[in-house]
Amino acid sequence: MTEVLSPYRAYRAWVTEPLPCPPVVSVVIPAYNEEWRILPTIGAIATHMSTRGQPWELIIADDGSTDSTISLVRDLRFANLRLLVAERNRGKGSAVRRGVLAARGELVLFADADQSTPIEQFDRLAALVGEGFDIVAGSRGADGAAVSGKSLTRRVLSRGLRAVVSRGFGITVSDTQCGFKLFTQDAARALFSTQLVDGFSFDLEVLYLAHHLGYRVAEVPVEWIDAPGSTVDAAKVSAQFLRDLLVIRLNDIRGRYPHTRPAEGRDA
Amino acid sequence: MIIRTELEPSRRIVHLVGRFDAHEAKAFRGVVHPLVTAEANVLHVDLAQVAFVDSTALSELVRLQKAARAVDGEVVLVDLSDPVRVILEITELAPLFTIEHTSTEAL
Repeated sequence: MTEVLSPYRAYRAWVTEPLPCPPVVSVVIPAYNEEWRILPTIGAIATHMSTRGQPWELIIADDGSTDSTISLVRDLRFANLRLLVAERNRGKGSAVRRGVLAARGELVLFADADQSTPIEQFDRLAALVGEGFDIVAGSRGADGAAVSGKSLTRRVLSRGLRAVVSRGFGITVSDTQCGFKLFTQDAARALFSTQLVDGFSFDLEVLYLAHHLGYRVAEVPVEWIDAPGSTVDAAKVSAQFLRDLLVIRLNDIRGRYPHTRPAEGRDA
Repeated sequence: MIIRTELEPSRRIVHLVGRFDAHEAKAFRGVVHPLVTAEANVLHVDLAQVAFVDSTALSELVRLQKAARAVDGEVVLVDLSDPVRVILEITELAPLFTIEHTSTEAL
């Protein structure tokens, strides 16, 4: 039987002892110039995930950071943390893809580096995978979500984009862009090995592919706190998002996406 | 975040509850910083019910410590929650503070 450790002792064990078995959960954090935020986020995630008692790994997928993000993470020397360094900045979608495809867990969570969705929400998403869903998307748009600190501009833009996505793409998830999504390993590998968008809109593309490939997708309202100091320019990102919608549609028309799922399960 | 102060003649304690991040820095500075004076230069900050501190919150605690040291006092962090303890460790800020545990549960 697994010894029940105090949260701090569980964290210390995770930090110092390499997992003796494949992880049950992989947490992927994309990071681009996150020197100001990455360590508190790693601390919060490491404490919570270690307390759960399941083997887990943390993957920091750098996206060509030019600040001290890489050295801060590397210097931690945690036994079960992997740092994937990118030579240059390609976009959040590229970083998440590299992280997800490197993940070994039966479940793969990707979470933003600013801890805007507290890691404690993970347990609610994981429960739905247990009910048979392949993808569980954290949502700021679903009934019951608790959103704070989001500017009026961002709220209006989000609402407009949601309407476009819902009507134009048939995606029922009301918030495609929340940086907190959980995948089964098979779904993660199938979707991220075929998605093409390197930038911010990769979430939408992944959900679009999931919809077309028949994966079961659930949406869970989450607590979300805007992280001050975000470098996201809402208007610029929204314009890019609309361009990416067209790109995704064109990719589909040109046959760049598969129409059937790959065979599930991996070689053990 | 809820900030509750307990001001006794011999001891000043601030209890924080919730998430201590950049959104809360202004309120923290307004309410807590004035509690450190030349006459009352030791301040205890109870972090048992703080689930997360971001870098701005950490810099507020360091700023408070510097203000206390300037009047020959100190800030004592009390009953760190596990995530706060870990975050202080990995940011290497823990040695800047005296840390007290009133319970043995986390040890």
